[in-house]
Amino acid sequence: MFLQINHIQKKYKDKQVIHDVSFGLQAHQTLSILGKSGCGKSTLLKIIAGIEEQDQGEVVLNGKNISNIKSNERNIVYLFQEPLLFPNLNVFENIAFGLRIRKMASADVLQKVEQMLTNLELTEHAKKMPHQISGGQKQRVAFGRALIINPPLILLDEPFSSLDVETRANMQQLYKTIAKKFNITALFVTHDLKEALLMGDQISYMDNGILEIFDSKKDFIEADKTGVKSEIDFWNNL
Amino acid sequence: MSTIFKKRNILLWLLAVAFLTPIITLFYLSFSKDWRFPAILPEQFTTESWRYLFFSGGNIGPSFVISLVIALSVATFATLLGFITSKYIAYHKYRKKLLMLTYFPFALSPVIFALCLKFYFIKMSLTGNLQGIILAQLIIALPYSVIFFTGFWNQRIKQYEDLVATLGGTTSYAFRKIVMPIAKSLILVCFFQCFLISWFEFGLTSIIGYGKVETLTIKVFQFISEANIFYAALSCCLLILPPVILLWFNKKFIIQQAK
Repeated sequence: MFLQINHIQKKYKDKQVIHDVSFGLQAHQTLSILGKSGCGKSTLLKIIAGIEEQDQGEVVLNGKNISNIKSNERNIVYLFQEPLLFPNLNVFENIAFGLRIRKMASADVLQKVEQMLTNLELTEHAKKMPHQISGGQKQRVAFGRALIINPPLILLDEPFSSLDVETRANMQQLYKTIAKKFNITALFVTHDLKEALLMGDQISYMDNGILEIFDSKKDFIEADKTGVKSEIDFWNNL
Repeated sequence: MSTIFKKRNILLWLLAVAFLTPIITLFYLSFSKDWRFPAILPEQFTTESWRYLFFSGGNIGPSFVISLVIALSVATFATLLGFITSKYIAYHKYRKKLLMLTYFPFALSPVIFALCLKFYFIKMSLTGNLQGIILAQLIIALPYSVIFFTGFWNQRIKQYEDLVATLGGTTSYAFRKIVMPIAKSLILVCFFQCFLISWFEFGLTSIIGYGKVETLTIKVFQFISEANIFYAALSCCLLILPPVILLWFNKKFIIQQAK
């Protein structure tokens, strides 16, 4: 397995947020994690990214135990619910940020960022500041900023939750295209049933800190707790 | 022109007059001499007070420099230390308790507070010198700076720092490239306010300074107690000059930048 999570546990004060979570993920696959707010899915992603520390368990990436490595050395990018563009940098510099950290030569930065801007259809917005672009464009910039450093793993924490229905659908489509083009390995957290089905090659459900991975989409649909059946019933009985 | 616009203009002019009248009066008095009852205005217009204070033993020049050194030092240390300290307090698990401690210096009047500290300052040979005054004023200015910046360290800033980390940046890289630029305006405002706290400070300075360190504020009080209104007016002019320059700087760079 490219990503292997072994017996992760996390407790905040007296509340056990994650109960012994273990799973594996193949390279170039996206695992959807569906769950209600507060079920522990964001905490799990933060532990994998190194932003939070687990109480027990280990994170193994590409055969290497990265549990005790600092987040800035893991090379795993975490995409927050909001695009979180740096307000003091324009679109170009936001995308170039990871390359600047790596002290890449200016000519290479220019070439790579321009390529990314073209891929994301953002060329005409390169010089704009974050407050001058729309929500969907901001999210595309955030994607570009993450993808440009070619991370082995991307963690997406409800990245489209603040977008309107149409932009959200466009972004979902864009993600699918990009994931295929860049061979992305990702964990995609969402509380939206349809989004979980659309985005994931594999689907899992998290409830009260317990994660269950389904063998197939059919199993996911048939399981009572995921809510798919009640959703189907709702539309059938309308 | 609408009535609301006219009213707003009149109000602005009234405010401007209210702010400028005392300043103009002070400047006028500093160039005056011999003002005796029942004369409505001073009898002479002269630069004598200015010449005396600067060139004939008035010692305003050195006091001005001392005040400037103290205020700039206090503002610089308080702003930088406050910015860093506030970060650790904001993310600390005992945030509320630690924040409560920062209010302690404001619970007492500065004079009483200075008297409480005097013993320790004497023991450390910090009375009657510049270092002692700077340290004493920092005891007031630093907690102010910490309180000022605590609100800045919110969840969003934490997320920016975490994001930089996952993109491969160190904490110091995030601090230099993202946090500091975002906080730049706040840092300048805090510096300005700490400068003002120090510039107009009297109680702590007079007690810890033992009268040996004559800041401009101390000089103003001396002239007032001597009933020399012309020298007092002149000192006041010098006292308000740096804050006015800072205010202009504040308006020109910070407010325009925000726009």
